[in-house]
Amino acid sequence: MKKALALSALVALSLAAAQKTVTLAWSGAITGPTSDAGASYAAGVEDYCKYANAQNLLPGVRLNCVVRDDQYNNANTQRNFEDFVGNMNVPVFLSYSTGSNLQLKGVIEETKVPTLPASYHIGLIDPPNNTYMFLPVSSYSENIVALLEYIAKKDRGAKVALVVNPSPFGRDPVVDARKAAQRLGLKIVDVQEVGGNNLDNTAMLRRFESQGVKYVINQNTAGPVANILKDAKRLGLLGKMQFMGAHYTGGEDLTKLAGDAAEDFIWATSYYLYDEGDRPGIQLVKKIGAQYGRKADTIRSVHYTSGMLAAAIAVEALKRAKNDLTAAGLYKGLTSMNGSRAFQPGFTVGPVTFSAKDHVGAESLRLLQADKTGNFKAITGPQRSQMFQLVHPLR
Amino acid sequence: MDLLPQLLLAGMVIGSIYALAALGFVLIYKSSRVINFAHGQIIATGAFLAFALTQRGVNFWLAGLIAMLATFLLGLLIERVFLRRMVGEPIIAVIMVTIGLSSVIDGLIHLTPYGAGSFSFQTPAVLSGAGLEVFGTPLSRTQIAGVLAALGLLGALTYFFNRSTLGITMRAVADDQLAAMSVGTSVERVFALAWAAAGLTAAAAGVILGLLSGLTLGGLAGIGLKVFPVVILGGLDSVIGAIVGGMLIGILENLSAGYLDAIVPGGGTRDVFPFIVLIAVLLLRPYGLFGTKEIERV
Repeated sequence: MKKALALSALVALSLAAAQKTVTLAWSGAITGPTSDAGASYAAGVEDYCKYANAQNLLPGVRLNCVVRDDQYNNANTQRNFEDFVGNMNVPVFLSYSTGSNLQLKGVIEETKVPTLPASYHIGLIDPPNNTYMFLPVSSYSENIVALLEYIAKKDRGAKVALVVNPSPFGRDPVVDARKAAQRLGLKIVDVQEVGGNNLDNTAMLRRFESQGVKYVINQNTAGPVANILKDAKRLGLLGKMQFMGAHYTGGEDLTKLAGDAAEDFIWATSYYLYDEGDRPGIQLVKKIGAQYGRKADTIRSVHYTSGMLAAAIAVEALKRAKNDLTAAGLYKGLTSMNGSRAFQPGFTVGPVTFSAKDHVGAESLRLLQADKTGNFKAITGPQRSQMFQLVHPLR
Repeated sequence: MDLLPQLLLAGMVIGSIYALAALGFVLIYKSSRVINFAHGQIIATGAFLAFALTQRGVNFWLAGLIAMLATFLLGLLIERVFLRRMVGEPIIAVIMVTIGLSSVIDGLIHLTPYGAGSFSFQTPAVLSGAGLEVFGTPLSRTQIAGVLAALGLLGALTYFFNRSTLGITMRAVADDQLAAMSVGTSVERVFALAWAAAGLTAAAAGVILGLLSGLTLGGLAGIGLKVFPVVILGGLDSVIGAIVGGMLIGILENLSAGYLDAIVPGGGTRDVFPFIVLIAVLLLRPYGLFGTKEIERV
C-alpha cells in the first residue's frame, strides 16, 4: 500500500513537472469609468480561464489566470502590458479600452504579442501597426452601418442624427457612417457628442425635432443613452424618433437605467443574450457563472459573455498552437481559425474566423429591439452589413 | 414651441440639483476653509446606501432619510478621524487628505455589490405618471420633486445660517477662528457639524440624481467635480452663491447646447461654455459672485 501511494505521488509529481504554465492576462477597468462593463468582462475572462483549467481544455498546460484593474487609465494599461510581456511572458494580451489599445498599437506591433481588445473600434485593425490586433466581434462601425441599412430599407431618404461619445471610441465610426448614409440615400443631419455627465438633453432633442430627425443612432455607453431616452420620453419624442445604438449602448445596462423609456430601442450586437438559454454558449455562460458563484446580474450581463469569448479565443489559439506556446505560436493558432477550421464557441451569432488578413472574429451581428419588459428580442437574423466593406475596405 | 423658455426651465431644473450638490463644498469651506475633493464619493455613498435599502424592501422615502442620516454620521466620522488631526497643517496637506479620502471611499464602494454596475431606483408610485407642462416644457414628476427637495433643503440651510444661533456661530468661526475661540466657541464642534451637514446634503443630491439619471459610481462621483465651477462662480463660502451659481451653470449649459451646438461641429459646448463664463467672472471677481472679498497684501 505504501509503495502504491509513493508511486502515485511520484507519477503525480512528474506529471506536474511536465505541465507547462501559460499566463492568460487581462487588463481593463474593474474600477473607474466604464467599470460597469469592465467588471463583468473581467469576471468572464477569469471564470473561463479557471474553467479551462478545471476541464483540462489544454492538456499538459496550466493556465495562470491574471485579471488586473487599470481603472480605464492608459498609463496603468501600459504598465500592466509591460509587466505581462516583460515579466510574465504572456503569449496573448487580453486588453480593454479604445484609448489604451490605440496607444499601445505600436508597442504591440514591436513585441509581436497578439492582442484581443474589448474595444471594437475598427481603427485598431486599420494599418499601420495592425498585424497583431484582433477584434473578437464586429466593429462599432459595422454595427452602425448595419443600423443605417435597416433604416434605408424601411425609410429611404430619412433624416438621421448620430450621438457619439466625446472620445476616439465614440468619434471613429462617424466617417464610415457618413459614407454609408450617402450611398444608402439617408441624410445625416447632425452629429452630437454627449458625455457621461450630461444630465439634460432637452436642447439636443428639440433641435433634432426641428431638423426633422426620425432616427437617432448612438455610439456611446448605456448611461448617456439612458438619459437621452428618458428625456425623449418626457418630451414626447419616443414615438416620433427611433433610437438605436451600437454594442455598448444596449443590453441589460440600458434597460436597468432607462426603465420603460428603453422600449423599442434597436441594438446591434454580435452576442447571444442571457435569455436565449437554448444556445449552447449561453448554457455554458450560466454553467460557468454558477460554478464560480457569480451574482445573477453579472451572469446576465452581455459583458460577462464578452469576457468569456475573449478568453475562449485565446484558449482555442493556444490549443491550436500545440507545443509552440509562444506569441508566435498563438498568432499561428489565431490565424488558423477560418474555413472549415473556424472556431465555434457559441457565445456569438456566427463563428469566429481570423486569418492574416481577416482580423474580425465573429463578423455576424443581429439587430434586436427592446420590448415592454426591457428584454431585447432579435428583429433580424445573423447578418453582415452589405455596405460596410464598400465604405471601409479592410486591408 | 419657443426654445428659449424650455432651455431656461430645463437649465433651472438641473441647476437646482447642481446647487444642492455644490452646497457640500460650501458648508465645509464656509466653516473650515477646506475644499473637500471627496464630496462626489460621499454623494455616491448616500445614493447607493439608499438604493441598497430599497433593494431590501425599505420604503424609498425612508431609505432616503436613513441614507441622509448615515452620511451625516459619515461626515462626522471623517472630520473626527482625519480632518481634526490636520488642524494647523498647510492647506495643501488638508486638500491631499481629501483627495486620498476620495480614493479610499471609491475603493470601499467597489467592495460592495454597487461599485461596478448600473442601477436604477424603482420610481415611487407618486413620482410615476404624467408630470406638468410649464411654459411649453414637459417636466416629469421626478424632476419636479427633485427641484422641490433641492430648493427646500437650500432654503432651510439659508435660514439656518442667517437665523439660528448655531448657524451664526458657524459663520463666526468661518470669519475668524481665533476670535470665535476666544469667546468660547467650540471650533471643533463647528467643523464636525459642517462636515456632517455636507454629508447630509450629499446624500440628498445623490438620491435625486439617482432618481433622475440612474446610479453608476462614475456618474455620481463625477458630479462632485462637475459642480466645482458652480461653487467657484457663486463664491466658495456662500450658500446663496451655490444656489445662484448652480442655476447659472445649469442655464448656461442649456443655452450653449441650444444655440451653440448647432453651429459648432460635434456640439458638446455645454461642457465648455460654463467654464468660459467662469474664467471671465473670475477675472473680474476672483472671489466669485457672492464670496467673501478677501484682500491680502504681501
